[in-house]
Amino acid sequence: MRQSKYLYLSILLLVFFGLNGCKKFLDEDLEGKKSDLQFYQTADDAELALTGVYNVLSFANADNRIWVFGDVASDDATKGGIPGDQADIGLIDDFVVSTDNGNLETVWAIYYEGVSRANKLLDQIDGIDMDTERRSQIKGEAKFLRAYFYYWLTNIFGDIPVHTTTPTPEEMQKAATPVSEVYTDVIQADLMDAATLLPAEQTNLNIGRATEGAAWAFLSKSYLFQKKWAEAEAAAEEVITSGLYDLENLYRNNFEAATKDNIETVFAVQHLSGQAPWLGNRLNQWFAPRAENGYGFNVPTQSFVDEFEQTADSVYDPRLDYTVGREGHIWFDSVMFDPEWSPTGYMQKKYLQPLSEVPKELKADGELNYIFIRYAEVLLIMAEALNEQGRSPEAKTFLNLVRTRARNSYLYDENLPGYGTIPDGLLPDVTSGGQSEVRNAIRHERRVELGFEFHRYFDIIRYGPDYAYNAFQDKENFNYEEYKHFPIPQSELDTNHEL
Amino acid sequence: MKRFCIWVTIFCVFLSAHELSAQTFTGTVTDQDNLTLPGVSVFVKGTTIGTVTDFEGLYSIQILPGDVTGDSLTLVFSSIGFTTREFNFPVDPGATITHNVMLLEEIAMLDEFVVVGYGVQKASDVTGAISTIKMDEITNQPITRIDQALQGKAAGVQVSQTTGEPGSSVKVRIRGIGTINNNDPLYIIDGVPTKDIDGILNPDDIESMTVLKDAASAAIYGSRAGNGVVIITTKKGQAGKKRFSYDFFGGIQTHGHITPMCNTGEYLKIYNEAALTDGRDPIPDDIRSQLSNTDWLNEIFRTAIMQSHQVSVSGGNENSTYIFGGGYMKQEGIILNSDFERINFKTSLTSKLADWVKVGTNLNMTYSVRDIIGASGDGYGGNGGSVIRYAFFRTPPVPVYEENGDYSDLPNFDGYSQAKLNTWFGDGYNPVGLANKFDWKAKTYRVFGNIFAEFNIVDGLVFKSDLGVDLTVIDEKRFNENWGTDGRINSPNSLVVSSSTGFVYNWTNTLNYTRTFNEQHHTTFLLGTEAIQGSFHWQSGTDRDFPDQSPSMRYLGNGLTTSKGAYELASGWSLLSAFFRANYNYANRYLIEGVIRYDGSSRFSKNNRWGGFYSGSVGWNLHNEKFLSDVKWLSQLKLRASIGQTGNQEIPLNNYISVLGDEYNYPFGGYLNYGYAVETLGNENTTWETTTTYDIGLDMAFFNDRLFVTTDYYWRYTDDMLIPVPLPPSGGSASPPFLNAGKVLNRGWEFEVVWREVAGDFRYEIGGNFATLYNEVLSLSNGRPIAAGRIDNGVFATLTEEGHPVGSFFMYEMEGIFQNEMDIFTHAYQGPQIEPGDVKFKDQNGDNVIDEQDRVHVGSAIPKLTYGVTANLSWKNFDLSFFFQGVYGNSIYMQVNQDIEGFYRGFNVTQRYYDNHWTGEGSTDEYPRASWIGAANNKKASTRFLEPGSYFRLKNLTLGYTFDLKKAGAGRLRVYFSAQNVFTITNYPGLDPEMYESNNLRGENVKNADLAAGIDWGTYPIPRIYTIGINLDL
Repeated sequence: MRQSKYLYLSILLLVFFGLNGCKKFLDEDLEGKKSDLQFYQTADDAELALTGVYNVLSFANADNRIWVFGDVASDDATKGGIPGDQADIGLIDDFVVSTDNGNLETVWAIYYEGVSRANKLLDQIDGIDMDTERRSQIKGEAKFLRAYFYYWLTNIFGDIPVHTTTPTPEEMQKAATPVSEVYTDVIQADLMDAATLLPAEQTNLNIGRATEGAAWAFLSKSYLFQKKWAEAEAAAEEVITSGLYDLENLYRNNFEAATKDNIETVFAVQHLSGQAPWLGNRLNQWFAPRAENGYGFNVPTQSFVDEFEQTADSVYDPRLDYTVGREGHIWFDSVMFDPEWSPTGYMQKKYLQPLSEVPKELKADGELNYIFIRYAEVLLIMAEALNEQGRSPEAKTFLNLVRTRARNSYLYDENLPGYGTIPDGLLPDVTSGGQSEVRNAIRHERRVELGFEFHRYFDIIRYGPDYAYNAFQDKENFNYEEYKHFPIPQSELDTNHEL
Repeated sequence: MKRFCIWVTIFCVFLSAHELSAQTFTGTVTDQDNLTLPGVSVFVKGTTIGTVTDFEGLYSIQILPGDVTGDSLTLVFSSIGFTTREFNFPVDPGATITHNVMLLEEIAMLDEFVVVGYGVQKASDVTGAISTIKMDEITNQPITRIDQALQGKAAGVQVSQTTGEPGSSVKVRIRGIGTINNNDPLYIIDGVPTKDIDGILNPDDIESMTVLKDAASAAIYGSRAGNGVVIITTKKGQAGKKRFSYDFFGGIQTHGHITPMCNTGEYLKIYNEAALTDGRDPIPDDIRSQLSNTDWLNEIFRTAIMQSHQVSVSGGNENSTYIFGGGYMKQEGIILNSDFERINFKTSLTSKLADWVKVGTNLNMTYSVRDIIGASGDGYGGNGGSVIRYAFFRTPPVPVYEENGDYSDLPNFDGYSQAKLNTWFGDGYNPVGLANKFDWKAKTYRVFGNIFAEFNIVDGLVFKSDLGVDLTVIDEKRFNENWGTDGRINSPNSLVVSSSTGFVYNWTNTLNYTRTFNEQHHTTFLLGTEAIQGSFHWQSGTDRDFPDQSPSMRYLGNGLTTSKGAYELASGWSLLSAFFRANYNYANRYLIEGVIRYDGSSRFSKNNRWGGFYSGSVGWNLHNEKFLSDVKWLSQLKLRASIGQTGNQEIPLNNYISVLGDEYNYPFGGYLNYGYAVETLGNENTTWETTTTYDIGLDMAFFNDRLFVTTDYYWRYTDDMLIPVPLPPSGGSASPPFLNAGKVLNRGWEFEVVWREVAGDFRYEIGGNFATLYNEVLSLSNGRPIAAGRIDNGVFATLTEEGHPVGSFFMYEMEGIFQNEMDIFTHAYQGPQIEPGDVKFKDQNGDNVIDEQDRVHVGSAIPKLTYGVTANLSWKNFDLSFFFQGVYGNSIYMQVNQDIEGFYRGFNVTQRYYDNHWTGEGSTDEYPRASWIGAANNKKASTRFLEPGSYFRLKNLTLGYTFDLKKAGAGRLRVYFSAQNVFTITNYPGLDPEMYESNNLRGENVKNADLAAGIDWGTYPIPRIYTIGINLDL
């Protein structure tokens, strides 16, 4: 017994002290996830990373609030919703904006996350062994998207920190770059690269990806902000002469699910219902009346409605009822619009689908895209670029293309009363007037044609203080110099000491 | 074995022939009250001969001449709860000796053994700061979790329930908040380590709890001991004593203090007052006849039942002991549709295989079910929001039910548009409907235990090998029913089912050597290794669009959606360690102890995964010195001092690498495309947090062990704190990498005192413990503060910053109310819309503008003082006990008051706001005017909503009576009445000042409870419980 005791113990003690021998014991691998060291290796990885960049565009993310700045802050819209709900949006509407306003925080965070994903992909893409043509396209798409993110950031926040490669934590301490340089060195540089790298068309399963035309159109749009009219003209010319784009016969086709991604679409943020996680458009809920399980935000003002032309017989520009729900008119399906739904008595329709398409309980999973640039805007950019170069007669041609399509609604839309005949005096061509009149006509046309497409506030600011003070007569807190751009959010100021 | 055979042979040979030469001992064993004691173990030391006293306390034992060697023998009398006594007798075959024995109840601490890391130590030898919780004081309390038993019972251990919801978690903080990461202590249960004690044991199964507070006592647990260690020993069988016990309590629970809210008439009045101020439509008079007058808080509470049954059987002999038993407990919540139910089993066995080998096992199995409702937060954390919060702000004009019996949702009165009604009466959820429609159950299955073998190699040298397992399976199911006006709530309906399995095993080997040289030099050495490996697996499925919402159809697969979700997570971690401890004691006067532990952890990169921890401590038993031997009133005086380092590795696994996340998808051409993006940034240079603790202490006993005093002062520095350093959002939204970049100080004074006295039939014991705490962040990642406790988009209630406590409240300071235009004009500019009656904020930086720069640190959720007082009195068969517990000096940010006093939406308001709000110059300096326009300013996060969190609570009051059933041939029966949370003295205006983090934390970026503690969104209060119970011992 005694002998075996020591035998057993010796064995046990050997095991006991041998324990430290197993070095592998402390190796625990990631399960179900990849580390970035294992990623960016294959063509598939490049596509996954690129889709991750596109993902940032989506309005499936309720925090994607560019509409708060583009529309609510402008004279087109007011906050809407229940008083007190989303008070931060109301504060932007009223120009009482502190650096801790939640909308500043979320837009800043989302769009910089987009920049970050694009940077990471662009940093890594050259190391990936893949088809060289597709690699160039991916670079083009990533650069296009990076330009898109910076476009919104600089328009909303003005001078901002810029990263074009993935920064280390130390490099994230970064001073602001002036707006003009953000445009020239980043947005326009990226878009010019993109225009050469991207294919002319994206079809079938690639619909929704950036194209060469999108890059040119975006480039022309970006020049407007710097008053580089000749460059804007040249870029718009590329789009127009490509022959790949045209106006839809019906204005409303741009805002209906069945006809999305049509020939007028130059670049649109894509949405798709019924996915997990959701890739649908949440604006379908945010902008809808509470009666339809919506939140009722971003509602049109009287000023916006008044901007629409009407004939002597009080026939309105048909775009009004395509854009706005108002008393006495059908809302969707056969439901009459109830002005009680909105504090202004109006609601906008461009992101909304009828309940027959998206039921109440799936309200936040809409199908409609957000069209960032459509061909109509390219024509208006062209008109503006020409007019500002003193070529008003040429400008009118492009302006009138847009007006013609609008008035021709009466030839194509069976639902309009008096369908088949254009009412007398509706949206006549602009034929007279010098540069200044044409400028006003173009500004007017942009407002009604592109209303609620998140451009208005930036247009107002770009037109200058005189225009802006006029537009914001009823906003006592508006000050052009203060609100040319919104303040950089507090969380950035707290963490980036170079600002 | 050999010895047994010889014994049997001898026994057989001598049994009949030599009966006359047996030596017989008989007698009665009694306690100090002369009550006979049954079940006392009586045995002859060094042999297996033994017996147990019968119901009359009588014993009789016969010793044959061969049974003992030498010419004397020792009888040992032992019983649980009594001091063991030994008596020497000369060997005298044939003699019959009557020897009556009185056993004294164990009250003296001095020679008790104290549980320490990987062993026990004589209390007089301990040099670390250790608190022991006596479980018999806990048994009166109707508690359901073992961590609740620590509340108010040990100085420096702060225990707080997160909410009063049955089964909800409890936060235990030992000596403050050392880190912005995990501050939970390490628990060692029968030798098996775990950080998670949810649903692990029935508190009734615990024999003792020991809290290792300083580095000297905890360093032996190394990298996981930075937050202190709680060692839990479960009940074991006793040799020679069969015991059956049944414990029951049952009772009712009610809510305590309720915040008075406005009724319908008052609500209309204040609404219309504000409407007049702001130029809005008032609520018309003609609607009044349609309005209800609902007291929403009252509607959600109920009187709830609680019951518990626990049975156990134990016993054993010199070779083996056993205990097994089981229990059932059910606690209904005091809010509708919340419940907790538990079934548990326990077994512990030990057996001697040979005189040098002892083996054993402890096995605990529990099954518990929680019926969950939203108990805190506003739903940001994904729980749907606290039912209490909705009950607070739902306006009284809206009825509970519609005429058709459905729960009312949006206000529904004839003749007014929905938009107007929503504006007037709000659009918050119906809390009664919300509570009852919560279909959320979590079932936890837990198996926890170990098997061990102990080998006595030579005298004083023991080798022990211990294999422990910890299996946790959690099944959770939640159905979000679609309901409300036009089906607006939970639209579409959805189901989430998840199952997780956590498995941890540990293998611990220790070699322990004890030896005394020259009678004066006492030494103990411990050498050990430990390997721990954990794995975690979680899977979940989701479904939605259920056409049929009946409970029997709430299963995955029954939804109509084609996009059902399936998710899976898996992870693993491991820890490998070696440790060494040496104790030296010279003549029981001078004590010295040293500990070294070397740990390797999978959580850090290969270059940084090994780290060493140490401690050293000294003690001086002054009472054993000659110069104090004459001081009769002093029975103990020990001076202790220690220093040491422990670690904390509780940061997310794989933090050293950047990790990609999936589901960053996007559609092209009408089809889904998958996308990846970097979610978390890694840092391969991270390593442990290190906590260095300095402790000096004094243990004293006076007046023949009547008065005990223990006091400690400590400094606890956490260095290399692991911080996810907030990076500028312009660098992207991926979670920032951890850096070892922070330092926190906790220091405090701890004081424990007990007075015991026995005076005839009257006995009492009064004890108190008090601890102060000073907490300060000394440095933090290059000074970059961490905002946490989100209360609105981009608005946070706390800021953890250098020079302030962890999770310090950071906000505007309310200075009063603007009384008139001149007041506004002369004060710093606060915004364009300020009117008299609005809240005035203090211009902290003197720049004459109130903006974000004027926010300051205004208080902390960390109490400056925590304390507990326990009194146990008994007279004859009656016993009476009180237990008070409290905290002092902390603040609570009452976020729910932003809703119910902030006056910015159609929410009900408190009675105190209604009564006291500003109505004109000079009316109040505390509560602003009723105005929605003013609310933008008035409801800003400020000290207006910061309330004192101090409380003093009679936690428990118990009155019992014990029937002595010995005459009836049984043991004893105690019957008691107990009241829990009897009263609370506090200035906190909410329902309950005891809370910790809210559920919102789960949705936040900074997920540390201590950075967002004490934010009350309307928290489920702790119930008042009245129980009657019995303890039956046979």
